[in-house]
Amino acid sequence: MGRLEFFIIIINPEKNDPSAASGSLIAPPALPPCNLCLSLGFKPLSVIAEKRPSESSRQTPPIHQPATTLFASSVKKSPPDIPAPDRPNRADLSQLLALLRPSFSRYRWRLIAGFSALLAVDFLQLIIPRILKSGVDGLAKATASQSDLLALAGLIILIAIIVAGLRFVWRYLIIGFSRLLEMAIRNRIFTHILKMDALFFARHTPGDLMAHSSNDLSAVQMACGMGLVAAIDALVMSIATIGFMLHIHVQLTLLALLPMPFLAYFTRILAGRLHHRFNTVQEQFSLMTEFSRSTIVSVRLIKAYTMEKFQTGEFDKLGRKYVKNNLGVAYIQGLINPIATLAGNLGMLMILLVGGRLVILGTLTMGDFVAFVSYLSMLIWPMMAIGWVANLVQRGLTSLNRIHHLLTQQSTLPDIADTGEQPLLQPSFNLRAVCFSYSPARQPALRTVDLELGPGIHGITGRTGSGKSSLCRILARLYPVPDGQLFFGGRDVNTLPLAYIRSHIAYVGQEPILFSDTIAANIALGRPEASEEEIREAARSAAVHDDITNLPDGYATLIGERGVKLSGGQRQRLALARALICDRPVLIIDDGLSAVDVATEHEVFAGLRRQFVGKTVIIVSNRIKMLSLTDRIVIFEEGRIVSQGGHDELLAANSLYRSMFAKQMQVPAGDGVEP
Amino acid sequence: MNFGYEEEGKGGSLGDVGIWRRIIAFSARYRLALSGAIILSLFVTGGTLALPALLQHGIDRYITAKGIENTVRLSGLTSTAVWYGLLVLLIFVATFFQTVVLEWLGQSIMHRIRQDLFNHILHLDLQFFNSQPTGRLVTRLTNDIQNMYEMFTSVMVTLFNELLRLAGILVLLFFMNVQLALLMTIFVPISALITVLFSRLARACFRAIRSQLVRLNSFLQEAISGISIIQLFGREERNRRDFEELSQGYLERTLSQIRLFGTFMPITEFMSSLATALILWYGGGEIIRSRLTLGELVAFISYMRLFFQPLRELSQKYSIVQSAMASAERIFQLLDTKSRILLPEHPVEKPVVQGELRFERVRFGYDPEIPVLHDLSLTLRPGQAVALVGTTGSGKTTLVNLLLRFYEPQAGTITIDGIDIARFALEDLRTVVGVVLQDVLILQDSLLANIVMNSGRNRQDVEEILGKTGMTRFVARLPQGLDTMIGEGGQELSSGEKQLLSFARVLCRNPAILILDEATAAIDTESENILEEAIADSFRGRTSLVIAHRLSTIHRADHIIALQHGRIVQQGSHEELMALGGYYAEMVALDRRDGDSL
Repeated sequence: MGRLEFFIIIINPEKNDPSAASGSLIAPPALPPCNLCLSLGFKPLSVIAEKRPSESSRQTPPIHQPATTLFASSVKKSPPDIPAPDRPNRADLSQLLALLRPSFSRYRWRLIAGFSALLAVDFLQLIIPRILKSGVDGLAKATASQSDLLALAGLIILIAIIVAGLRFVWRYLIIGFSRLLEMAIRNRIFTHILKMDALFFARHTPGDLMAHSSNDLSAVQMACGMGLVAAIDALVMSIATIGFMLHIHVQLTLLALLPMPFLAYFTRILAGRLHHRFNTVQEQFSLMTEFSRSTIVSVRLIKAYTMEKFQTGEFDKLGRKYVKNNLGVAYIQGLINPIATLAGNLGMLMILLVGGRLVILGTLTMGDFVAFVSYLSMLIWPMMAIGWVANLVQRGLTSLNRIHHLLTQQSTLPDIADTGEQPLLQPSFNLRAVCFSYSPARQPALRTVDLELGPGIHGITGRTGSGKSSLCRILARLYPVPDGQLFFGGRDVNTLPLAYIRSHIAYVGQEPILFSDTIAANIALGRPEASEEEIREAARSAAVHDDITNLPDGYATLIGERGVKLSGGQRQRLALARALICDRPVLIIDDGLSAVDVATEHEVFAGLRRQFVGKTVIIVSNRIKMLSLTDRIVIFEEGRIVSQGGHDELLAANSLYRSMFAKQMQVPAGDGVEP
Repeated sequence: MNFGYEEEGKGGSLGDVGIWRRIIAFSARYRLALSGAIILSLFVTGGTLALPALLQHGIDRYITAKGIENTVRLSGLTSTAVWYGLLVLLIFVATFFQTVVLEWLGQSIMHRIRQDLFNHILHLDLQFFNSQPTGRLVTRLTNDIQNMYEMFTSVMVTLFNELLRLAGILVLLFFMNVQLALLMTIFVPISALITVLFSRLARACFRAIRSQLVRLNSFLQEAISGISIIQLFGREERNRRDFEELSQGYLERTLSQIRLFGTFMPITEFMSSLATALILWYGGGEIIRSRLTLGELVAFISYMRLFFQPLRELSQKYSIVQSAMASAERIFQLLDTKSRILLPEHPVEKPVVQGELRFERVRFGYDPEIPVLHDLSLTLRPGQAVALVGTTGSGKTTLVNLLLRFYEPQAGTITIDGIDIARFALEDLRTVVGVVLQDVLILQDSLLANIVMNSGRNRQDVEEILGKTGMTRFVARLPQGLDTMIGEGGQELSSGEKQLLSFARVLCRNPAILILDEATAAIDTESENILEEAIADSFRGRTSLVIAHRLSTIHRADHIIALQHGRIVQQGSHEELMALGGYYAEMVALDRRDGDSL
């Protein structure tokens, strides 16, 4: 838009003064479109306006995320902790830049070549009008021949080809660099995350971490790619242009440039606000996405409760808010673009008023006047770019700060280098007055627990929240324990490498976590080298072999998002098979078969009993049948051990256990299996 | 199975004209705002074009007018500048309003379409939902609508303007010099060709990037959710390698996108330089042959630059329009999908139901080839409590699905008080028949609101119902009683509490027929006690059909029906069936024996 009017000015048919007209157009750089506009592929205005959620971000709504918002359907155990999200403090600039330094120094030649190409393009752009000027001048003086013109035209084409080539080069080198940088940081984040403890994951929800690796990364990538290009391009272009203008007339230059700082300033302010409101729009968009997702997922319930109207009403509310948020963006967008035009037009007004006066008074030539007009037009984009870049850089730094914060988080578990020690054959856990709480603000989950867990089958039971799972989690070294409380094979766990302890443990958690891969690969997760027969054997032991062979591709069936959906019970039995195949000396089953019917569960364990000889097996369960299979039962209440002993012993001594028994031995009829 | 919905396909029976007609139909009610936006936009364009004319006026009349008195020239210049300034401000204001009006318009229309679509989807039958991945329907509701919106605001109005401008410039060029203008028109088809080619390549490129990003993100998501398993099973190194591989794949795809853009982006500018060279060579020759003036040549060059701007704009909008049309087509196809459940034209009026429920020779299979229920007949007398038992796949849940008209039986009828349920309005049917399903739908609201939902009951009613069924104890356990916020970010309910909520919710609607799908998962003892009491109470005076898992519920039922492979194999009271022996007795014995073996 902005540049348009200036073109039209130039075609002002000054019939009586042809030299002025030609001079205007030919005057040194007659409006070479600055690199910025081209590099962005469209008018920078629309970049600043940052229209809508970007294609990529819009196309990947978190459709596969577990249903949590609005509807929590079915049964889901609560996470151990919901701590307040921690806000990263602003780190030193030098610390932040240190994150980028490796990539910058690794690709320095690439960058140097890229920016050389960029500057060469700027320079060559200024030459084309010069050639045009010499041609037109030749025509005006009637000295130019047809072959001269052909040569000049050929030269223009040659330069245009070089320019196009160089544009490709800088784009590939610089923007490509930003992608390389993005990848380096992404991989670094992932490597870091893999080392973190459970406390870290309680502080950072998957959503947060996903945001770090998508939004924050792309903000950094933008700043280091297009942002860098725009900054350098704008700087070079504006310095050159202002230099030319100052050369013609200093006062007029200052007057004409008067609105420009305001333009840069307002662009920056508005672009910042726009970004903020734009985020609100995106949040609302994801709320709508999540709402429709959860509605569609629970459509059976909604129909059963005749809630169609109600849901449509709720969706309407969300939609209305979305419209409102979008209008909030439109108000700013409606300002940003016209402000650029306004600044340019006001500069024109100055030139018209003051420059015109100077021409009339004879202190400025007409040619200079027209040249001034074209220079001014060249300045508008760089000025807007400055505002835009400033905003981009700020956003990039904020994101970089968040990434930095993430990368400086330390695991609270001791980081002890692997000593390559041989694993123990019959390890035991020894708890000495273990106290544990998920966060200082919360009730302790375990209070002075003394327990010896050696070879044998240990049943753990108690009410929800009594500390059973917490016990399993600290044994698996997911959470830290103070020195001198937890011993593994007689040594304080804090003196042993995590991987060493974990290599003894096979774990079956409450929620069976499987990965999008084949069933065989999921079973062999802890032992990728396991043979097919071993996998089958493990599946048979976990009573899931028949289920698997009934699937279309048997063990090669893909499960997860893109594959077959398994029932809760099947998933749990797969998780058990995964643990069994590892054949490790410690097996922890944290209520891991709750969705499997009692009879099957019973069968599985009766079958495994022989395999368990000499191993430490810890089973958390609330099922009497299951507990009766164990060598000893430990009952937890409010983080303390209240009773322990054999099944019969407890039946005689513990009232809680007795009431559980009475309740559960009213045998359920029907299947009672896998909803 | 494909229920009449072609995958992502283009070009169904809906021609382009049809889509446009429907879009226009949706916009029709906003015609005032729409014409306002167009007028504003014409005004802005007009004003923008008037500015240079004003400037030219100032230059011709005052700045270069050597014959006139200097003071007159200066004052004339000042007044021109004032007009110029006013016009500048006007353009500023008009542009602002144009942007806002257009946004409002586009968003309002899209909101309408979205609401219609949402409502439409919710009223489709369950078989439809079984055939559609959730993600696809969500995409229709969100991204596809968003795509259409892009087209609406950024394209419909600008497209019109740009085309107008392009045509205007071409006319001007022809007016000045026909040969030269013809030379310029060559660029139109070239540019169109390049645009089409580019947008095709770019689309493939973006698709590749997007799918890789999805892979990358879902890998990451999975790794984060399963981090404990990864760590416990020592998979960190392997996972890191897999991730870096995906990351590398993403990098390669983005780099190929950069190459593509690097190739195509400079082309327009290159064409513009090419045109300049052509004009200089050919136009210059014309000047030498005295067929063109220098001023005309200069004007030609300037117009030519103008000419490429709309070309570039149009080429950018092209891909937007394309994807928007595809989205629009998908949306309208979905809107045209009819529910398989036929609604009665004249539904039975507000039925007061005794509660006699009868299944008559009902046959049904989700796949008609594989029947789940075989000519099943079953009668429940008003007030009777019937327990359904049977293994997974015996057809218990299907029976409930049919009763609620989630599906239509392939043969046979289901009647309530002798009236075919197909004659009830769906809403009435589902109010008369109350269900407690195993899944619980929790709104992010207070417990009270979650119980009441849309039943129209008030707090007092709820308290009364809770009191009568002994469920006050359940509420008392929660920190703020009925006002406890539950759902996302609120109090977490145990599975037992969720069952209780679900039960209270149904009682609130006072259904004549109660369907209860008992939870299989173990719930805590206390909740179970409360629930049992509540169930016992609610059976009184209601026809009840229970998919039973607990012996206590089965005892309480007047009648037990044992289902096997979609057929009733035994029925009678618990004692009768036990005495009779057979399927039911075996089932009970099986569980007993395990129990006794302890």
